[in-house]
Amino acid sequence: MAVFNVRNREIECKIVYYGPGRCGKTTNLEHIYRSFKKQVSGQMVSIDTEGDRTLFFDFLPMGVGKVMGCDVRLQLYTVPGQVKYSSTRRLVLKGADGIVFVADSLAVRREKNMLSLKDLHNNLKSYSSSVFKVPLVMQYNKRDLEAQGIPLMSVAQMEKDLNSQLKVPAFEASALTGRGVGLTLKECLKRTLKSLQKELRLSE
Amino acid sequence: MNLKSRLTGLLREGEIYGSQGLFQESLQKYREARQLIQETSGIKNRDSLLAVLSRKINTFEEAAQKVDQTPAEAQMSAQQQDLVKKLFAYSPDQDPDSIALEGALALAKFGQFKRALAEFREMLSKESLRLQAAKNIIRCHMAMSDGQEAVVEYGQWMQSGLFSRRQLEHLRAFLHNLVEKKGIDATLPQPSEDTPTAEPTVAADEIDEEEILDISSIVIHFDSGPYSGKQLELDVSFQTGNVISLLISSHEKEIIDNLTVGVKLENLQFFSPIAIFRGSGVISAKNKIDAGPKQGDYSLDIKIIGAE
Ligand SMILES: Nc1nc2c(ncn2[C@@H]2O[C@H](COP(=O)(O)OP(=O)(O)OP(=O)(O)O)[C@@H](O)[C@H]2O)c(=O)[nH]1
Ligand SMILES: [Mg+2]
Repeated sequence: MAVFNVRNREIECKIVYYGPGRCGKTTNLEHIYRSFKKQVSGQMVSIDTEGDRTLFFDFLPMGVGKVMGCDVRLQLYTVPGQVKYSSTRRLVLKGADGIVFVADSLAVRREKNMLSLKDLHNNLKSYSSSVFKVPLVMQYNKRDLEAQGIPLMSVAQMEKDLNSQLKVPAFEASALTGRGVGLTLKECLKRTLKSLQKELRLSE
Repeated sequence: MNLKSRLTGLLREGEIYGSQGLFQESLQKYREARQLIQETSGIKNRDSLLAVLSRKINTFEEAAQKVDQTPAEAQMSAQQQDLVKKLFAYSPDQDPDSIALEGALALAKFGQFKRALAEFREMLSKESLRLQAAKNIIRCHMAMSDGQEAVVEYGQWMQSGLFSRRQLEHLRAFLHNLVEKKGIDATLPQPSEDTPTAEPTVAADEIDEEEILDISSIVIHFDSGPYSGKQLELDVSFQTGNVISLLISSHEKEIIDNLTVGVKLENLQFFSPIAIFRGSGVISAKNKIDAGPKQGDYSLDIKIIGAE
């Protein structure tokens, strides 16, 4: 949950990267860590296994300048995508102000994307929130693999599978090359801040 | 598509999926490739191709098995644990006691029981935290193993002179309840006349005999009525004894209208930081909040009347 520190005029918000195992959540954060040096305000921490699978979470703190006269501090997290880490996933999701859903464009991962979105839906519901309420952005990752002749789903197909009801902004990306990574984050941040602003105004 | 390009395609997919850790998908492609070769006669280097494929299949089968067998529980480094305490301790205020307690609870939630235990044990020396700490020690033991350890530790508390008689009785009932649920046959010593006890203090006297557990959130399952099949999870904002207070957002308007004082909720799920249990309750109060940041939302009190 966002923390407003009135005295220091600081807002701290939390964006969580969610998605099925191996879809590229950690790779997104790694790219951000490398490419947004100026905004990154601390070490990226990954708690993972030897095979690079996220075990608990990745964490990356950033400072993204002033909004509404307040310094905005951003905490990026990834959840572990593997099914068996469901309770950790739920813990890390708690209090998210914004969410990036990273979907895997590989045709062989079609069902896993849908299951993970459903899992997100259920977890948010359990916190009395919802995929329809929370600031959410979609990312269709691994688009670079098309050039290598690997069967990918078309964007139209993915929109139909994952975004036909949500209708949130969606970005094609390749976390490996960095394409679309910054755009995804910026849009999510924009939506998150907008929603926090609304919340703040309501509570004034 | 001719055979060669089909095969190349399958092998390429197998290779990429494998390199991304998608072992099942990779195996699937290599097995398809194997089948294709087996079904086709007249392939020149058939035997060596098959040998290569079975090596690949072996490798990825082992890799997949290794991933499957990695236990969900894992130990973090001390540094990582520190970070978890910093990031996931939801402490409502800057009071050092509650920061310490929330920090240790965060560790327990992430399965870091050993360190959590050590921190809770340290809190035993502080009177204001003693009972909370003791209960969390019991919970950690229950989560880690069958609870025999908890019984042993309770026995030590009996001899320690740290707790008042009332606190010991309370802890005994608390532990008994959990141990029984696990089906363990343990006789828990009762505090007797000879048991060294601390003087009862204000903190000790605050214990509600009926207190069940510290509940952090609950799920209401609607089994009948217009919301049949639906569920709603709510964070507990306050708990006194067996009455929990919840905040319901004004967005849940329709559900709120159905939750009136006196309504009995049969199918509740309670989440305490470590254990999850089921029970029932009755709505004992409902109030609309008409000032402050939560204006428009409702606060709901539920009296827990039964827990399994
Ligand atoms: N070609 C390509 N590979 C990618 C891309 N994004 C991620 N990968 C690869 O996919 C694999 C998994 O990436 P991670 O970032 O670890 O995936 P994750 O979503 O964090 O996975 P979990 O932690 O298990 O949930 C790695 O081998 C990455 O190099 C991409 O855009 N293109
Ligand atoms: Mg990861």
